[in-house]
Amino acid sequence: MFVSEGAPERLSTERPETVLLRRIALRDRAAFAELFSLVAPKVKAYLIRLGTEAAGAEELTQDVLLTVWRKADQFDPAKAGPLTWIFVIARNRRIDALRRERSTVTYGFEPPEQADEDTPSAEAQLSGTEREIRVREALKLLPPDQQEVVRRSFFDEQPHSEIAEALNLPLGTVKSRLRLAFAKLRDRLEDL
Amino acid sequence: MTGAAVTPRHHPSEATLAQYVAGTLRPGFDVVVAAHLSTCAHCRAEAARLEAVGAAMLDEQAPVDMSADALDRALARIETPEAEVPPAPTLAEVLTPRRRRWLAPGVWTAKVDTPRYASDRVYLLGVGPGISTADHGHGGLEFTQVISGALQDGDIVYRAGDFIEHDADHEHQPVVWGDEPCVCLFATQGRLKPKGWLGRLVFALADV
Repeated sequence: MFVSEGAPERLSTERPETVLLRRIALRDRAAFAELFSLVAPKVKAYLIRLGTEAAGAEELTQDVLLTVWRKADQFDPAKAGPLTWIFVIARNRRIDALRRERSTVTYGFEPPEQADEDTPSAEAQLSGTEREIRVREALKLLPPDQQEVVRRSFFDEQPHSEIAEALNLPLGTVKSRLRLAFAKLRDRLEDL
Repeated sequence: MTGAAVTPRHHPSEATLAQYVAGTLRPGFDVVVAAHLSTCAHCRAEAARLEAVGAAMLDEQAPVDMSADALDRALARIETPEAEVPPAPTLAEVLTPRRRRWLAPGVWTAKVDTPRYASDRVYLLGVGPGISTADHGHGGLEFTQVISGALQDGDIVYRAGDFIEHDADHEHQPVVWGDEPCVCLFATQGRLKPKGWLGRLVFALADV
Protein backbone atom coordinates (compact mmCIF):
# COMPACT_ATOMS: atom_id res chain seq x y z
CA MET A 1 0.00 0.00 0.00
CA PHE A 2 1.25 3.48 -0.83
CA VAL A 3 1.27 6.02 1.93
CA SER A 4 -0.42 9.18 0.75
CA GLU A 5 -0.81 12.59 2.29
CA GLY A 6 -4.15 13.63 3.64
CA ALA A 7 -7.32 11.60 3.53
CA PRO A 8 -6.85 8.07 2.18
CA GLU A 9 -8.49 7.36 -1.11
CA ARG A 10 -11.81 5.64 -0.55
CA LEU A 11 -13.26 3.03 -2.78
CA SER A 12 -16.56 4.44 -3.92
CA THR A 13 -18.29 1.08 -3.60
CA GLU A 14 -20.52 1.30 -0.58
CA ARG A 15 -22.31 -2.00 -0.38
CA PRO A 16 -26.11 -1.72 -0.51
CA GLU A 17 -26.24 -3.71 2.76
CA THR A 18 -24.45 -0.89 4.58
CA VAL A 19 -27.00 1.70 3.50
CA LEU A 20 -29.87 -0.66 4.35
CA LEU A 21 -28.46 -1.38 7.82
CA ARG A 22 -28.25 2.34 8.55
CA ARG A 23 -31.89 2.74 7.55
CA ILE A 24 -32.90 -0.33 9.57
CA ALA A 25 -31.26 1.23 12.64
CA LEU A 26 -33.81 4.06 12.15
CA ARG A 27 -36.60 1.41 12.17
CA ASP A 28 -37.20 1.54 8.40
CA ARG A 29 -39.33 -1.53 7.59
CA ALA A 30 -38.99 -1.19 3.84
CA ALA A 31 -35.21 -1.31 4.22
CA PHE A 32 -35.55 -4.43 6.36
CA ALA A 33 -37.68 -6.09 3.67
CA GLU A 34 -35.05 -5.21 1.08
CA LEU A 35 -32.17 -6.52 3.19
CA PHE A 36 -34.13 -9.68 3.94
CA SER A 37 -34.53 -10.45 0.22
CA LEU A 38 -30.88 -9.67 -0.40
CA VAL A 39 -29.30 -11.56 2.49
CA ALA A 40 -31.66 -14.25 3.83
CA PRO A 41 -31.18 -16.66 0.87
CA LYS A 42 -27.39 -16.44 1.32
CA VAL A 43 -27.59 -16.97 5.07
CA LYS A 44 -29.86 -19.96 4.48
CA ALA A 45 -27.45 -21.40 1.89
CA TYR A 46 -24.51 -20.86 4.23
CA LEU A 47 -26.27 -22.67 7.09
CA ILE A 48 -27.17 -25.57 4.81
CA ARG A 49 -23.55 -25.77 3.67
CA LEU A 50 -22.63 -26.12 7.35
CA GLY A 51 -24.89 -29.13 7.65
CA THR A 52 -28.14 -27.64 8.95
CA GLU A 53 -31.13 -29.32 7.30
CA ALA A 54 -33.31 -27.05 5.13
CA ALA A 55 -36.22 -26.47 7.55
CA GLY A 56 -33.85 -25.74 10.41
CA ALA A 57 -31.81 -23.41 8.21
CA GLU A 58 -34.98 -21.49 7.28
CA GLU A 59 -35.89 -21.01 10.97
CA LEU A 60 -32.36 -20.08 11.95
CA THR A 61 -32.23 -17.56 9.11
CA GLN A 62 -35.40 -15.98 10.49
CA ASP A 63 -33.65 -15.69 13.87
CA VAL A 64 -30.56 -14.18 12.27
CA LEU A 65 -32.57 -11.52 10.43
CA LEU A 66 -34.60 -10.75 13.56
CA THR A 67 -31.32 -10.21 15.42
CA VAL A 68 -30.15 -7.96 12.58
CA TRP A 69 -33.28 -5.84 13.07
CA ARG A 70 -32.81 -5.63 16.83
CA LYS A 71 -29.09 -4.91 16.80
CA ALA A 72 -28.86 -2.72 13.69
CA ASP A 73 -27.99 0.35 15.78
CA GLN A 74 -24.83 -1.46 16.93
CA PHE A 75 -23.55 -1.90 13.37
CA ASP A 76 -20.45 0.22 12.84
CA PRO A 77 -19.18 0.14 9.24
CA ALA A 78 -15.76 1.42 10.36
CA LYS A 79 -15.25 -1.72 12.45
CA ALA A 80 -16.74 -4.42 10.25
CA GLY A 81 -18.24 -4.67 6.81
CA PRO A 82 -21.97 -5.38 6.63
CA LEU A 83 -21.48 -8.99 5.60
CA THR A 84 -18.89 -9.55 8.32
CA TRP A 85 -21.36 -8.20 10.85
CA ILE A 86 -24.14 -10.45 9.54
CA PHE A 87 -21.74 -13.43 9.36
CA VAL A 88 -20.91 -13.01 13.07
CA ILE A 89 -24.61 -12.90 13.98
CA ALA A 90 -25.30 -16.02 11.89
CA ARG A 91 -22.33 -17.79 13.49
CA ASN A 92 -23.51 -16.93 17.00
CA ARG A 93 -27.15 -17.85 16.41
CA ARG A 94 -26.09 -21.17 14.94
CA ILE A 95 -23.90 -21.96 17.95
CA ASP A 96 -26.74 -21.01 20.32
CA ALA A 97 -29.14 -23.32 18.47
CA LEU A 98 -26.65 -26.19 18.33
CA ARG A 99 -25.83 -25.93 22.01
CA ARG A 100 -29.48 -26.05 22.98
CA GLU A 101 -29.91 -29.24 21.03
CA ARG A 102 -26.70 -30.87 22.03
CA SER A 103 -26.59 -30.37 25.74
CA THR A 104 -28.57 -29.67 28.86
CA VAL A 105 -25.79 -27.42 30.09
CA THR A 106 -26.32 -23.75 29.34
CA TYR A 107 -23.79 -22.60 26.81
CA GLY A 108 -22.05 -20.08 28.95
CA PHE A 109 -19.81 -18.29 26.60
CA GLU A 110 -20.52 -15.83 23.83
CA PRO A 111 -17.52 -15.60 21.50
CA PRO A 112 -16.17 -12.08 21.21
CA GLU A 113 -18.10 -10.40 18.41
CA GLN A 114 -15.22 -8.29 17.25
CA ALA A 115 -11.71 -7.51 18.33
CA ASP A 116 -12.60 -3.97 19.24
CA GLU A 117 -9.43 -2.75 20.90
CA ASP A 118 -5.79 -2.42 19.92
CA THR A 119 -6.97 -1.11 16.58
CA PRO A 120 -3.92 -0.02 14.63
CA SER A 121 -4.23 3.32 12.92
CA ALA A 122 -3.86 1.82 9.43
CA GLU A 123 -6.87 -0.32 10.15
CA ALA A 124 -8.98 2.70 11.05
CA GLN A 125 -8.38 4.03 7.53
CA LEU A 126 -9.90 1.00 5.89
CA SER A 127 -13.64 0.71 6.19
CA GLY A 128 -15.13 -2.67 6.92
CA THR A 129 -16.36 -2.87 3.34
CA GLU A 130 -12.92 -2.21 1.90
CA ARG A 131 -11.58 -4.90 4.18
CA GLU A 132 -14.18 -7.35 2.84
CA ILE A 133 -13.17 -6.52 -0.72
CA ARG A 134 -9.48 -7.04 0.05
CA VAL A 135 -10.21 -10.39 1.68
CA ARG A 136 -12.22 -11.60 -1.31
CA GLU A 137 -9.40 -10.62 -3.65
CA ALA A 138 -6.79 -12.30 -1.46
CA LEU A 139 -8.85 -15.50 -1.45
CA LYS A 140 -9.17 -15.47 -5.22
CA LEU A 141 -5.40 -15.16 -5.59
CA LEU A 142 -4.77 -18.42 -3.72
CA PRO A 143 -4.22 -21.51 -5.87
CA PRO A 144 -7.42 -23.61 -6.04
CA ASP A 145 -6.10 -26.39 -3.76
CA GLN A 146 -5.30 -23.81 -1.08
CA GLN A 147 -8.68 -22.09 -1.46
CA GLU A 148 -10.22 -25.50 -0.93
CA VAL A 149 -8.51 -26.13 2.41
CA VAL A 150 -9.32 -22.61 3.66
CA ARG A 151 -13.00 -23.20 2.77
CA ARG A 152 -13.02 -26.54 4.51
CA SER A 153 -11.63 -24.94 7.67
CA PHE A 154 -14.79 -22.88 7.75
CA PHE A 155 -17.21 -25.70 7.02
CA ASP A 156 -15.82 -28.93 8.48
CA GLU A 157 -15.65 -29.89 12.13
CA GLN A 158 -12.52 -32.00 11.66
CA PRO A 159 -10.92 -30.29 8.68
CA HIS A 160 -7.62 -32.14 8.86
CA SER A 161 -8.98 -35.65 8.67
CA GLU A 162 -11.93 -34.72 6.42
CA ILE A 163 -9.67 -32.98 3.93
CA ALA A 164 -7.24 -35.90 4.02
CA GLU A 165 -10.07 -38.29 3.28
CA ALA A 166 -11.85 -36.18 0.65
CA LEU A 167 -8.69 -35.31 -1.26
CA ASN A 168 -6.97 -38.63 -0.57
CA LEU A 169 -3.90 -36.96 0.89
CA PRO A 170 -1.72 -37.91 3.86
CA LEU A 171 -2.51 -35.94 7.03
CA GLY A 172 0.95 -34.32 7.02
CA THR A 173 0.38 -32.94 3.51
CA VAL A 174 -2.98 -31.53 4.57
CA LYS A 175 -1.42 -29.81 7.56
CA SER A 176 1.35 -28.20 5.53
CA ARG A 177 -1.09 -27.12 2.84
CA LEU A 178 -3.28 -25.50 5.48
CA ARG A 179 -0.30 -23.72 7.01
CA LEU A 180 0.83 -22.49 3.60
CA ALA A 181 -2.64 -21.31 2.56
CA PHE A 182 -3.26 -19.38 5.75
CA ALA A 183 0.26 -17.92 5.76
CA LYS A 184 -0.28 -16.56 2.24
CA LEU A 185 -3.68 -15.20 3.11
CA ARG A 186 -2.24 -13.60 6.16
CA ASP A 187 0.65 -11.96 4.30
CA ARG A 188 -1.81 -10.34 1.96
CA LEU A 189 -4.05 -9.13 4.76
CA GLU A 190 -1.40 -8.17 7.29
CA ASP A 191 -2.22 -4.47 7.04
CA LEU A 192 -5.95 -4.96 7.49
CA MET B 1 -8.88 -16.26 36.09
CA THR B 2 -8.02 -15.55 32.47
CA GLY B 3 -5.86 -12.45 32.82
CA ALA B 4 -2.17 -12.78 32.17
CA ALA B 5 0.00 -9.71 31.88
CA VAL B 6 2.41 -11.42 29.53
CA THR B 7 2.52 -11.64 25.77
CA PRO B 8 1.68 -15.22 24.75
CA ARG B 9 4.28 -16.89 22.53
CA HIS B 10 2.40 -20.03 21.58
CA HIS B 11 -0.84 -19.60 19.67
CA PRO B 12 -3.61 -21.69 18.12
CA SER B 13 -2.94 -22.64 14.49
CA GLU B 14 -4.59 -20.52 11.81
CA ALA B 15 -6.85 -23.42 10.91
CA THR B 16 -7.99 -23.65 14.54
CA LEU B 17 -8.65 -19.91 14.69
CA ALA B 18 -10.60 -20.17 11.42
CA GLN B 19 -12.69 -22.95 12.91
CA TYR B 20 -13.27 -20.92 16.05
CA VAL B 21 -14.39 -17.94 13.98
CA ALA B 22 -16.62 -20.19 11.85
CA GLY B 23 -18.12 -21.83 14.95
CA THR B 24 -17.14 -25.31 13.79
CA LEU B 25 -14.76 -26.34 16.58
CA ARG B 26 -15.81 -29.26 18.73
CA PRO B 27 -17.99 -27.91 21.55
CA GLY B 28 -15.86 -27.27 24.62
CA PHE B 29 -12.68 -26.80 22.60
CA ASP B 30 -13.97 -23.34 21.67
CA VAL B 31 -13.80 -22.30 25.33
CA VAL B 32 -10.05 -23.02 25.39
CA VAL B 33 -9.53 -20.88 22.27
CA ALA B 34 -11.71 -18.14 23.81
CA ALA B 35 -9.55 -18.23 26.94
CA HIS B 36 -6.49 -17.73 24.75
CA LEU B 37 -8.09 -14.85 22.83
CA SER B 38 -8.88 -13.14 26.12
CA THR B 39 -5.12 -12.87 26.77
CA CYS B 40 -3.81 -12.43 23.22
CA ALA B 41 -4.26 -9.23 21.19
CA HIS B 42 -2.36 -10.82 18.30
CA CYS B 43 -4.91 -13.61 17.94
CA ARG B 44 -7.84 -11.24 18.45
CA ALA B 45 -6.66 -9.22 15.45
CA GLU B 46 -6.22 -12.44 13.48
CA ALA B 47 -9.73 -13.56 14.42
CA ALA B 48 -11.12 -10.23 13.23
CA ARG B 49 -9.43 -10.75 9.84
CA LEU B 50 -10.82 -14.27 9.66
CA GLU B 51 -14.32 -12.94 10.30
CA ALA B 52 -13.97 -11.02 7.05
CA VAL B 53 -12.94 -14.32 5.39
CA GLY B 54 -16.13 -15.80 6.88
CA ALA B 55 -18.09 -12.97 5.28
CA ALA B 56 -16.58 -13.94 1.92
CA MET B 57 -17.69 -17.55 2.52
CA LEU B 58 -21.22 -16.32 3.24
CA ASP B 59 -21.24 -14.03 0.22
CA GLU B 60 -20.10 -16.68 -2.26
CA GLN B 61 -22.90 -19.12 -1.48
CA ALA B 62 -25.42 -19.68 -4.24
CA PRO B 63 -28.68 -18.33 -2.72
CA VAL B 64 -31.28 -20.85 -1.54
CA ASP B 65 -34.85 -19.53 -1.74
CA MET B 66 -36.66 -18.84 1.51
CA SER B 67 -40.26 -20.10 1.72
CA ALA B 68 -42.95 -17.91 0.16
CA ASP B 69 -44.24 -16.47 3.45
CA ALA B 70 -40.79 -15.95 4.98
CA LEU B 71 -40.70 -12.18 4.60
CA ASP B 72 -44.24 -11.76 5.98
CA ARG B 73 -43.30 -13.87 8.98
CA ALA B 74 -40.16 -11.83 9.55
CA LEU B 75 -42.08 -8.56 9.30
CA ALA B 76 -44.61 -9.86 11.84
CA ARG B 77 -41.84 -11.01 14.17
CA ILE B 78 -40.06 -7.67 14.27
CA GLU B 79 -43.28 -6.12 15.66
CA THR B 80 -43.36 -8.45 18.66
CA PRO B 81 -41.48 -7.18 21.69
CA GLU B 82 -38.21 -8.85 22.55
CA ALA B 83 -38.37 -11.48 25.28
CA GLU B 84 -36.04 -11.00 28.23
CA VAL B 85 -33.06 -13.31 27.87
CA PRO B 86 -30.95 -13.88 30.97
CA PRO B 87 -27.40 -12.75 30.31
CA ALA B 88 -25.02 -15.56 29.40
CA PRO B 89 -22.29 -16.26 31.97
CA THR B 90 -19.03 -14.56 31.14
CA LEU B 91 -15.90 -16.49 30.22
CA ALA B 92 -14.44 -15.66 33.65
CA GLU B 93 -17.52 -17.18 35.31
CA VAL B 94 -17.32 -20.30 33.16
CA LEU B 95 -13.66 -20.70 34.12
CA THR B 96 -14.10 -20.15 37.85
CA PRO B 97 -13.57 -23.58 39.43
CA ARG B 98 -16.64 -24.54 41.42
CA ARG B 99 -15.90 -27.93 42.91
CA ARG B 100 -12.23 -28.76 43.08
CA ARG B 101 -11.43 -32.43 43.39
CA TRP B 102 -8.14 -32.93 45.14
CA LEU B 103 -6.35 -35.92 43.67
CA ALA B 104 -3.12 -35.67 45.63
CA PRO B 105 -1.44 -32.96 47.69
CA GLY B 106 -1.08 -30.02 45.33
CA VAL B 107 -3.10 -31.55 42.50
CA TRP B 108 -6.74 -30.76 41.72
CA THR B 109 -9.19 -30.82 38.84
CA ALA B 110 -12.46 -29.01 38.28
CA LYS B 111 -14.91 -29.69 35.48
CA VAL B 112 -15.78 -26.74 33.29
CA ASP B 113 -19.51 -26.35 32.81
CA THR B 114 -19.80 -26.03 29.05
CA PRO B 115 -21.40 -28.11 26.30
CA ARG B 116 -19.20 -30.90 25.01
CA TYR B 117 -19.50 -34.29 23.43
CA ALA B 118 -20.06 -36.97 26.06
CA SER B 119 -16.74 -38.62 25.18
CA ASP B 120 -14.75 -35.37 25.53
CA ARG B 121 -13.47 -33.70 28.71
CA VAL B 122 -13.19 -29.99 29.49
CA TYR B 123 -11.53 -29.23 32.81
CA LEU B 124 -9.11 -27.14 34.79
CA LEU B 125 -6.07 -28.85 36.28
CA GLY B 126 -3.98 -27.30 39.03
CA VAL B 127 -0.60 -28.85 39.79
CA GLY B 128 1.86 -27.74 42.46
CA PRO B 129 5.49 -26.84 41.74
CA GLY B 130 7.84 -29.68 40.92
CA ILE B 131 5.11 -32.22 40.28
CA SER B 132 5.19 -34.21 37.07
CA THR B 133 2.02 -35.47 35.43
CA ALA B 134 1.76 -39.09 34.38
CA ASP B 135 3.22 -39.94 30.99
CA HIS B 136 0.26 -40.17 28.64
CA GLY B 137 -0.99 -40.23 25.08
CA HIS B 138 -4.24 -38.91 23.62
CA GLY B 139 -7.30 -40.46 22.05
CA GLY B 140 -7.57 -37.42 19.78
CA LEU B 141 -7.27 -33.68 19.80
CA GLU B 142 -6.12 -31.86 22.93
CA PHE B 143 -6.14 -28.08 23.48
CA THR B 144 -4.45 -26.52 26.50
CA GLN B 145 -4.38 -22.92 27.65
CA VAL B 146 -1.94 -22.09 30.44
CA ILE B 147 -3.92 -19.93 32.87
CA SER B 148 -1.20 -19.35 35.45
CA GLY B 149 2.25 -20.64 36.27
CA ALA B 150 4.28 -22.51 33.66
CA LEU B 151 4.87 -26.04 32.45
CA GLN B 152 7.61 -27.74 30.55
CA ASP B 153 6.91 -30.25 27.81
CA GLY B 154 10.02 -31.63 26.15
CA ASP B 155 12.29 -28.66 25.44
CA ILE B 156 9.55 -26.04 25.52
CA VAL B 157 8.39 -24.03 28.52
CA TYR B 158 4.82 -22.84 28.19
CA ARG B 159 3.85 -19.84 30.30
CA ALA B 160 0.62 -18.16 31.31
CA GLY B 161 -1.25 -17.11 28.17
CA ASP B 162 0.26 -19.81 25.94
CA PHE B 163 -1.85 -22.20 23.92
CA ILE B 164 -0.90 -25.79 23.09
CA GLU B 165 -2.50 -27.92 20.39
CA HIS B 166 -1.81 -31.65 20.17
CA ASP B 167 -3.37 -34.43 18.16
CA ALA B 168 -3.70 -38.17 18.63
CA ASP B 169 -0.13 -39.13 17.76
CA HIS B 170 1.42 -37.06 20.54
CA GLU B 171 2.69 -38.65 23.77
CA HIS B 172 4.16 -36.55 26.53
CA GLN B 173 4.80 -36.03 30.20
CA PRO B 174 4.49 -32.33 31.00
CA VAL B 175 6.18 -31.07 34.18
CA VAL B 176 5.34 -27.99 36.21
CA TRP B 177 8.10 -25.45 35.69
CA GLY B 178 9.29 -22.90 38.27
CA ASP B 179 8.15 -22.26 41.85
CA GLU B 180 4.50 -21.49 41.20
CA PRO B 181 1.62 -23.90 40.89
CA CYS B 182 0.44 -24.26 37.30
CA VAL B 183 -3.23 -24.02 36.35
CA CYS B 184 -4.26 -25.08 32.86
CA LEU B 185 -7.54 -25.31 30.99
CA PHE B 186 -7.85 -28.49 28.93
CA ALA B 187 -10.20 -29.84 26.32
CA THR B 188 -9.47 -33.42 25.35
CA GLN B 189 -11.12 -35.63 22.77
CA GLY B 190 -11.69 -39.07 24.23
CA ARG B 191 -9.93 -40.25 27.36
CA LEU B 192 -6.27 -39.65 28.03
CA LYS B 193 -4.21 -42.80 27.69
CA PRO B 194 -1.91 -43.04 30.69
CA LYS B 195 1.10 -45.30 30.57
CA GLY B 196 1.67 -47.43 33.67
CA TRP B 197 -0.67 -48.54 36.45
CA LEU B 198 -0.22 -45.47 38.68
CA GLY B 199 -1.13 -43.13 35.86
CA ARG B 200 -4.18 -45.23 35.07
CA LEU B 201 -5.29 -45.04 38.69
CA VAL B 202 -4.82 -41.28 38.97
CA PHE B 203 -6.45 -40.57 35.59
CA ALA B 204 -9.43 -42.75 36.53
CA LEU B 205 -9.87 -40.81 39.77
CA ALA B 206 -9.54 -37.53 37.92
CA ASP B 207 -12.06 -38.67 35.29
CA VAL B 208 -9.95 -37.25 32.46
